[in-house]
Amino acid sequence: MTTNVPVIDAHPTVPGLPKNYLNCSRGFMSWAGTLDHKRIGIMYLIGTLLTFLAGGVFALLVRLHLWEPHGMLFTNEKYNQIFTLHGAFMVFLFVIPAIPGALGNMVLPLMLGAKDVALPRLNLLSFYLWLSGAVLATLAIVLGGFDTGWTFYAPYSLYTNQAVVTIGLAIFLLGFSSIFTGLNFIVTTHKLRAAGLTWFRMPLFVWAIYATAILQVLATPVLGITVLLVAFERLYHIGIFDPRLGGDPVLFEHFFWFYSHPAVYIMVLPAFGIISETVSVHSRKPLFGYKLIAFSSLAIAIISFLVWGHHMFTSGQSTYAMFAFSFLTFFVAIPTAIKEFSWVATIWKGSIALNSPMLYTLAFLIIFAIGGLTGVILGALNVDLHLHDTYFVVAHFHYVMMGSIALAFFAGLHHWWPKMFGVIYDETLAKIACGIIFVGFNITFVPQFIMGSQGMPRRYATYVDEFHGYHQVSTIGAMILGSGVALMVYYLVASLLQRKPAMENQWGGVTLDWQTPTPPPLENFYAPPKVTHEVYDYSTLDLKTLQRPVS
Amino acid sequence: MIALLTQDPQAPVNYVANPAPAPVLDKWGQLPELASTFDHVDGLFYFTYIVCIFFFFLILGVLLFSVVKYRRKTWDQPAASNVTHNTPLEVVWTVIPLIIVMVMFAWGFKGCLDMTTVPHEASRNTYVATAKQWAWDFKYPNGSTSTNEVWLVVGKPVQFYLESTDVLHAFFLPSMRVKRDIIPGRFQSVWFTPTITGEFHLFCAEYCGKDHSRMYAQAHVVTQAEFDKEPWNPPIDETNLQSLIENGKRIFGQQCVTCHTVNGTGSVGPTWKGLFTKQGDQYVGRQREVIEGGQKKTITVDDAYIIESIKQPDQKKVAESPYDRNTMSSFANLDDKRIKCLIAYIKSLADN
Repeated sequence: MTTNVPVIDAHPTVPGLPKNYLNCSRGFMSWAGTLDHKRIGIMYLIGTLLTFLAGGVFALLVRLHLWEPHGMLFTNEKYNQIFTLHGAFMVFLFVIPAIPGALGNMVLPLMLGAKDVALPRLNLLSFYLWLSGAVLATLAIVLGGFDTGWTFYAPYSLYTNQAVVTIGLAIFLLGFSSIFTGLNFIVTTHKLRAAGLTWFRMPLFVWAIYATAILQVLATPVLGITVLLVAFERLYHIGIFDPRLGGDPVLFEHFFWFYSHPAVYIMVLPAFGIISETVSVHSRKPLFGYKLIAFSSLAIAIISFLVWGHHMFTSGQSTYAMFAFSFLTFFVAIPTAIKEFSWVATIWKGSIALNSPMLYTLAFLIIFAIGGLTGVILGALNVDLHLHDTYFVVAHFHYVMMGSIALAFFAGLHHWWPKMFGVIYDETLAKIACGIIFVGFNITFVPQFIMGSQGMPRRYATYVDEFHGYHQVSTIGAMILGSGVALMVYYLVASLLQRKPAMENQWGGVTLDWQTPTPPPLENFYAPPKVTHEVYDYSTLDLKTLQRPVS
Repeated sequence: MIALLTQDPQAPVNYVANPAPAPVLDKWGQLPELASTFDHVDGLFYFTYIVCIFFFFLILGVLLFSVVKYRRKTWDQPAASNVTHNTPLEVVWTVIPLIIVMVMFAWGFKGCLDMTTVPHEASRNTYVATAKQWAWDFKYPNGSTSTNEVWLVVGKPVQFYLESTDVLHAFFLPSMRVKRDIIPGRFQSVWFTPTITGEFHLFCAEYCGKDHSRMYAQAHVVTQAEFDKEPWNPPIDETNLQSLIENGKRIFGQQCVTCHTVNGTGSVGPTWKGLFTKQGDQYVGRQREVIEGGQKKTITVDDAYIIESIKQPDQKKVAESPYDRNTMSSFANLDDKRIKCLIAYIKSLADN
C-alpha cells in the first residue's frame, strides 16, 4: 500500500497495431519449434485438454458399465482396462502436467515480468517428452491395454500379460517432462524476477508453482526408478518386488507412494495457486494472510514427503510407522485448512464479481472443503482400516482431483482465457456450464461416499445388489457432469471462432500478467517492468484499462 | 475404441452362488450395523463426521453470506475492506483445528492399537484364510476346510492368518470393520470378535486382476451349538444319487462358480454342461481336445479325467480359446467323497 500510482504503463506509445505472440509468425514450424513460453503453454493446453476428454470418456464408460450389478458393457477384463486407462490418463497425462504445463507456462513468466522462462529450449523438450509419453500411453492401448490400475501394484503388474512395459516407459518419459518443467520454473523464479519484485511481492500463483516445482524435482525421480525396476523385473526377472524371486511387494508400495503422495500435492498446489489469484482479483481485495498462504505452500511441500505411509495403513506396516504417518497426515491438514480459511476471509467484505471464473472458484471452495474434510476422516487410523480401498476413498480423491483441481484449472482457464487469446467466451453459457458441472459432480460422488462407508470396495466390475441404487444415481450424475464439460468445450472453442474481443484487463487484475497488452507481445513486455507496490494492491488499479477493449 | 466397446459374447458369470443379504444399516444410516467389538471405529467416524459437517456449513455460510452481501453492483466498486491479515484470527484458525485433529489422531491410534493387538482368546481360535485368484479357502482350528464360506462363533474372539498363493488381496469384512492386505510371502493376521449372528459379506478389497470383484466369500456367524455341527461339512449319503447331486451342486456353488457355468456358456473356464451324453441309463463322455505336455490330443471325458482336472488342472488343458490361456488353481484339498458329488452333479447336466 505504498503508492497510488499505476505500476507501469506497458502500452507502447507508438501508434499502430503491435503484433502479439499469436500473430507474430505463422506456419507449422513456428509452433512446433517455438521457444516462446506462451505458445508452448497453448500446446500443453490443447494436449492436456484432449487427454482430459479421453480420460473423461473412459470415466463415462466405467459409470455406464456399473449401471447394472453384473456390469452392463464389458467383460471384467475389459472393465479393468478401462478404469486403469481412466486413472492413468487423468493422473499422468492431465492432472499432473495440466496446470504447470499450460497455465504455469503461460502465466508464470508474465507474473514475474520476464520475457520467457529461464531455459526455453528445455521447456520445449518438456513438452515433447509429454507428447511422447502421451503417444506411448495411447500405443499401450493399441498393444492390448493394461489392467493394473494406475498404481501398478506388484506382483500383479509383474504377472499380467499386458502392455505394462509400454505404459511404464510412457510414465518414465512423463516423469522427465515433469522434472524439466519444475527445474525450469525454479530457475525462472530465482533469476528472472522483475526489478522490485521481491519474494513477498510475488503473486501466490508463483509461490504455488515454485513449491510444486520443488516437489517435481525431488519426488519424480523415485517414480522413474520404480517403473524402471518393474520393467527390468518383467523383462529380465530380477527379484525386486516379486516374492517368487525373493522380492517384496510392499517395497513397491513404499516406492510408489513415496512419489505419488507428493504427487497429490504436485497436482493440488498449482490449483491452490490459481484459486489464490482468482479469489483476490474477483473480490478486488488483497489476499487475506498472504505470508501464511505462501509459507503453508512450502510447509505442505515439505510435510507431503513424510505422509506416504497413509496409503498403506492396511498393508501391515509397523505400529510405530502407522503412528508417525497418521500424525503427520493430520498435521498436513492444518496448512491446507489455513488456505481454505484465508480464501473465504478474502471474499468476506470484498467486491465480489459473479463472473464465470469466480463461479468456478466458489465451486472449488465448496468442493474442496468436502474433499479436504473427508481426507481428515481417512487420516484416522482405525477408521481408515474400515474405509481403505472403498468407494469412500474414490469419492474423497475425486473431490480433490476432479472437483478441486480440475475446477481450479477451469477457473484459471476462464480467468486467463482473455489474456491468452484476446477473446472472451459467452459468459451466460459459461455460468450455465459451471452450474451443470457443479451439480453433476456432486450427484456423481456423494452416493460414492455413502456406499463406500457401507463397504463397497473399489475397482469392482460387478457388485452386490444392495449398492445398485447408489451406482445408478452416480452414473446419472456422471452423465450430467459429462454434458457440462461438453458445453464448456463448445463455448471455449466457439469463442475462438467468434472472436468477440476481450478487455485489455478483463477482470481488473493488478499483478504483472495484467500489465502487458492483451494478448501479450512476443517477449511479453515492451519495456522491462518495475514493481513499486505490494502485491494485490487494488488501490493502484488503472480503471481506464478495464474498459479498453483489445485492439 | 470400437473393440473396447463391443462386449464379449460370454454371458456374465453369477456374482456368487448365494450372496449374503444386505446388512442392516446402523441408526444413522451411514455404516452397516456393527457386528464386532470395534465400536471405536464408529465412534471416531461419527465424531469426525460431525466436526466436518460443522466446518463445512461454517465455510458455506460465510461464502454465501459474502456473495449475497458484497456482490459487486457497479463495475468500479472497490472492496468494502482492504484488510490484509489479522494475526489473532489466523492464530485461532490454526490452533483450534490443530487441537481437534490431534484428538482425532490419538483416538484413532488408540483404536488401531486395539485392532492390531491380538488377545489370547483370539490366538487360541485361529483360522487360516488363503486367498487366491479368485477364491477364498478357509481352514478351521480343527483342521477342516471350506471354500468361499466361513463359519464363526458369535462372541468368540477369532484370529485369521492371511495367506496368498499369487498376488495381493485384502481381507475385508465391512460389518466387522476389519481390513488387512494379504501379501504373498508375508505373515499377516487380523482378529475380531463377532457380536451378532447372521450372514456377512467378505470382500477382496485389493485389486487382484480379472475377477477381483467376484472374489467373494460369505461369513456365517452362528452359535457354538450350531458351529459344532460343522455346517460346512454336511453329511453325504453316498448310496443316494439325489444326495450326491445336491451336494455336488452346493460344492459347485462354493468353489467352482467363480470360473465355471452349468448353462452351456463359457466363462473363465469351460462350461460343465454337456460333458456327458445320456444314452439310456449310461453316461457317455464327450470327445474333447486337450493339450497335454504341449501336445494337442483328443480324449474322452470320464471320471478319471474329471478327477485329474480338479487335482492337477494343468495336466490336460482344454485346447479351445480362451481356456488354453487361463490357469486353474488346484483343488487337491477336495476329498474323494466331494469329488464324487461333483461328478454326479456334472453327469446330471448331461445332454439327452
